Amino acid sequence: MRRGNYILRKAAFAALTLIAVMIFNFVLFRILPGDPVKLIIHSPRMTREAQERIRASFGLDKPVWLDRERLRDGDVLGAFDSQFTAYVRNLLRGDLGISFATRQDVSELLRERAWRTVVLVIGGDVLAVVLGMTVGLIAAWRRGTRLDTAILLWGLFSWALPTFFLGIILLILARGRLPVGGMVTPGLRPEDGLTYWANVGKHLILPTITMAIVYTGEYILIMRSGVMEVLAEDYILTAKAKGLSTARILRDHALKNAMLPMVTMIALTFGYTVGGAIQVETVFSWPGIGRLMYEAVQKRDYPVLQGSFVLLAVSVILANLLADLLYTVLDPRVQAE
Amino acid sequence: MKTNLWKLLAVLVILTIAVPGLAGCQPKEEPTEAPAVEPTEPPAEPEPTEPPTEPPAEPPAEAEPVTLRIGTTYIWDTANPTFGWYNYTLRYLLYDTLVEEVGISNFVPGLAESWTVSDDGLVWTLKIREGVTFHDGTPCTAEDVAWSLNSTTENEIETFAFYLVNFAEIVALDDTTLEVTLSDPVGNMEYLLMYVWILPRSVWEGMTYDEIMEFEDLSAGIGTGPYKLVEWVEGEYLILEANKDYWRTTPVIDRVVWQEFATEDAAVQALIAGEIDVIAADTIPTTAVQPLEDAENIEVAIMESTTVDELIINSHENGTQPESLWDPAVRLAIAYAIDKQQIVNVAYLGYAEPATVIVPRSLGDWHNSDIEDVPFDPSEGARILEEAGYVDSDGDGVREDKDGNPLEYRLYATDTASNARILEIISDGLAQVGISAPPTLMDEDSLIGLYPDFDFDLIYWGWGLDPDPDFSMLIFTCDQREEGGWSDSGYCDEEFEEMYVEQGITVDHEARRQLIWNMQEQLFEDRPYIMLTYAKNIQAYRSDRFTGFGLEAGDILWKSAFLKAKPVQ
Repeated sequence: MRRGNYILRKAAFAALTLIAVMIFNFVLFRILPGDPVKLIIHSPRMTREAQERIRASFGLDKPVWLDRERLRDGDVLGAFDSQFTAYVRNLLRGDLGISFATRQDVSELLRERAWRTVVLVIGGDVLAVVLGMTVGLIAAWRRGTRLDTAILLWGLFSWALPTFFLGIILLILARGRLPVGGMVTPGLRPEDGLTYWANVGKHLILPTITMAIVYTGEYILIMRSGVMEVLAEDYILTAKAKGLSTARILRDHALKNAMLPMVTMIALTFGYTVGGAIQVETVFSWPGIGRLMYEAVQKRDYPVLQGSFVLLAVSVILANLLADLLYTVLDPRVQAE
Repeated sequence: MKTNLWKLLAVLVILTIAVPGLAGCQPKEEPTEAPAVEPTEPPAEPEPTEPPTEPPAEPPAEAEPVTLRIGTTYIWDTANPTFGWYNYTLRYLLYDTLVEEVGISNFVPGLAESWTVSDDGLVWTLKIREGVTFHDGTPCTAEDVAWSLNSTTENEIETFAFYLVNFAEIVALDDTTLEVTLSDPVGNMEYLLMYVWILPRSVWEGMTYDEIMEFEDLSAGIGTGPYKLVEWVEGEYLILEANKDYWRTTPVIDRVVWQEFATEDAAVQALIAGEIDVIAADTIPTTAVQPLEDAENIEVAIMESTTVDELIINSHENGTQPESLWDPAVRLAIAYAIDKQQIVNVAYLGYAEPATVIVPRSLGDWHNSDIEDVPFDPSEGARILEEAGYVDSDGDGVREDKDGNPLEYRLYATDTASNARILEIISDGLAQVGISAPPTLMDEDSLIGLYPDFDFDLIYWGWGLDPDPDFSMLIFTCDQREEGGWSDSGYCDEEFEEMYVEQGITVDHEARRQLIWNMQEQLFEDRPYIMLTYAKNIQAYRSDRFTGFGLEAGDILWKSAFLKAKPVQ
């Protein structure tokens, strides 16, 4: 029962956050300076009618919140025919609008791009988690030694390393051996089977490594401090006194308890990396969500940006919720608070 | 202890960098290493290992198709030319126009072989080329051309209908004769026609406006041009194939691949690595020019462009600028205070030249070459201000006008690294003549947001101009100050207005040139803009793979320049 309450509370909180983000997302793009129609219309010599027609096709001819005139005329239902209600209605239907630049459906654009970012993020993150946890564990066990200092320094260094800088350095170093950018050599199609996937894999190497290096630092540091904390606990001493092997102590006693902060970290990182991949995707021209956003900013393609923000918000909020739920599984004490 | 730490750090740096190095070794068995070492083997790229994906149109006995790979930061927004604003260079490879541009402002016959105009300048008779077909095999007769132009006007095609606003009637007299009746004579018919693509009936006929605006099929790329659109993967690449039936010549490059890179640096690296053969226009940062020139097998092409930069002086009578900014003496002093050569050296690393008037030198005889620029001479600027009664009475280094208001101006630009340096140069120069203008950088939207109310004093800004001087003059006309117009200076002058209208209907080149020159002179004296630089266009290509690109059009991928390119044997 308690557990059910806890989950319900967390889920409700996530839902509230989501609603707030959605409203903010709408407001954000309306308070930006400049007329969005100007961004769509490039020609100064376009007639007024043509401009109006374009304005209408993007729904920008309607009032932002409420049609006061229609409300005054007693047309209450019609008064709610505003940009905001259209935004909410479309959002509920999963319709994120049409791109200013390409007039493509934004939801479809995001769907197409999302899996590419996910592949990149999962690859880089899994590598970083495995490497970070192992190295962090070693550092904690050998704390105070030179090895620990070295690992700590490495962790701090890679954590502080700007992603794009590392990316560009790797790109220049690997130039000629690995492709400089893109997802696949132009002309190859999924129908080509293995050749295609091998080619995609080759294009994935550099961005994945960049992501992994950058995130490893964080995991090393958290793992190290987490395990060190646990190792100072009395029950570890007891375990030692019982004569358990080092490996056993680390695996069964230390690791499990040190996992709590790690799980939060991993879940959050997954949530954030969807957006955090912007830099990696930009350096390596990887056509994912991050690069879509980067380009949308450059082209002031508001619908695409708005849609990406929704996706990012959802992924961060879901990752948070997931972390909260995992907590209840890993640590029964959590529900009690 | 300290040295130990440093050693450790060094080891870690090496480790961090070595990891990808090791990973990079894995795919070595593949022939990817070849291009860097043996440039004699032309297509030693990843491609040859893959089977050709196109249907085998040619007998297999034929030689490997010649592929040219282009790197760019953005291919285009859409294959639909009716609302696509990006990459005209690419679009011109797909479509033809009645008149073509082969060099900046140098027009030659395209789908129209020749043309004549009636004495009143109202009726143009164009002879349309015979035997031309669209990529889908349908013929392109005078009848089809008339249909295309009429449908452009009727549907108010966003991207180019406005070039035809003066076209009252367009009819095909027979298969090869097109008659255009204008409502007013025009002085730049060739320029107007070079922007209007001839689109096939087979694709577009019967569509409503909304259907046209939503059309996303690749068949939107069907034209009569030298290349056919084969494939486009948004955000990644685009593939063109030679149109062997192209009327002017048979293209020697069989396949053109446009590849998108998210950053300019990545495109430059790809060229050095040999992954691409050419870099598109506006993609090479000036800082990369020297490394590219030093790189092996790479040729850097530096060409004229129509990109100009200027300092806008708010000239709108309802603007928020101080009264003193209207004084011609102040404007002249500002001109004396700007070191254009330093802007060229610092911001463009020398790949630009100081500008005098709005019409750049690249536009040939439209550019008023008689005008002698105001030199950089702060002491002369200071003398002019002194003489005009602006004295620094309180000794703070800033002059005041008669009423005691200091000469303090707001100086804005968009927030880029090079703009920061440019504003610094301008601000320093102004300080030397006794004008205070601290630089302020802001994002583009905020800056554009200031235009409708003309709420600024000085703005550093730039234009990519048309090859015809009409647009360069249009931006100084009164109508353009309305919401949605192009005017950013707020300039409005009756005399100028009259000359603008006059040049628009003057058919005789020499007479129109004289008008355009007079207008430039007036702008030079009134100074709504102080022109700063004419930029160069920089491109680069693999000279071990291709040669022969034309440089005269300011873009080596421009249709006429591109068709001259040949693979290196």
